[in-house]
Amino acid sequence: MGVQLPPRYQRNYKALSVEDQARLGEATVAVVGCGGLGGNVIEEFARLGVGRLVLIDGDRFDETNLNRQLLATEKNLGQSKVQAAKQRVEAVNSGVKLKIIGEWFDEDKGEEFFQGVNLVVDALDSISRRVSLERACHKLGLPLVFAGVAGWFGLLGVSFPGDNTVARLFRGGERGAEKVTGNPAFAPAIIASLAVVEAVKVLIGRTVPLRKAWLQVDLLEMEFETFSLE
Amino acid sequence: MQVNVKLFATLRDGRFKQEKMELGDSSKVFDVLEKCNLPLEEVAISMVNGRDVTNDHQLQDGDTLSLFPPVGGG
Repeated sequence: MGVQLPPRYQRNYKALSVEDQARLGEATVAVVGCGGLGGNVIEEFARLGVGRLVLIDGDRFDETNLNRQLLATEKNLGQSKVQAAKQRVEAVNSGVKLKIIGEWFDEDKGEEFFQGVNLVVDALDSISRRVSLERACHKLGLPLVFAGVAGWFGLLGVSFPGDNTVARLFRGGERGAEKVTGNPAFAPAIIASLAVVEAVKVLIGRTVPLRKAWLQVDLLEMEFETFSLE
Repeated sequence: MQVNVKLFATLRDGRFKQEKMELGDSSKVFDVLEKCNLPLEEVAISMVNGRDVTNDHQLQDGDTLSLFPPVGGG
């Protein structure tokens, strides 16, 4: 076969070429939010073999997180989310370099938090913070994969500097639908996986269908529809 | 004039998925929100024929208006 991948990455092949795997290994990705979306995103990045992860969250686990947050267990209630994320990544793939930041994301801290970062994934649970995260990323020339969930519904997309997709998509409606719908386990897992798919494409240089667009997911109707924001 | 109104995600609750709506001439997106009993804070983005518009955008006969709620959870 002539392919020299470590056994832990052999089942990534050929979906991911040897060059793709090397690119992932050289990449640094920041995940902002280590809750419902973030836990699943972090798990997949660790297994994929992303070289370095910067994990950001100022929160600690409580009982209401257990219904959906992959990293929350009955044993770690009260623990900081980034600490739990660190333990999980180290247990899954000790080759991944980690920087954990147990603070809330703030637009002014973008430069400090995102040092050496190639791509940012938004796993926040606040619309206003998501908009300010996009501004911070674009100021630093970084692409952002954004995602949101609410009950049976979710959305995600990819915003490069100048696209301002998040600002356009969340122009109105400050109060997220999730305040009413709650968030069962399925939507965060599905939307997180789709976000990782687009993140990987950015990192390995494949076409990114959700750039200047977003995917609207309706799990009640099983509708997956892409809307363009050209 | 007639406008095709499409609602997404939670906006469908107690309303509809898609409906052809009879509107007065020079009706705006606002007027549809009012007719659908949709408060402004429940709509994140309004698209007319695939382009995002503000709520004072004037609708034309045959337009398709798609309305989406803010989906912000993580």
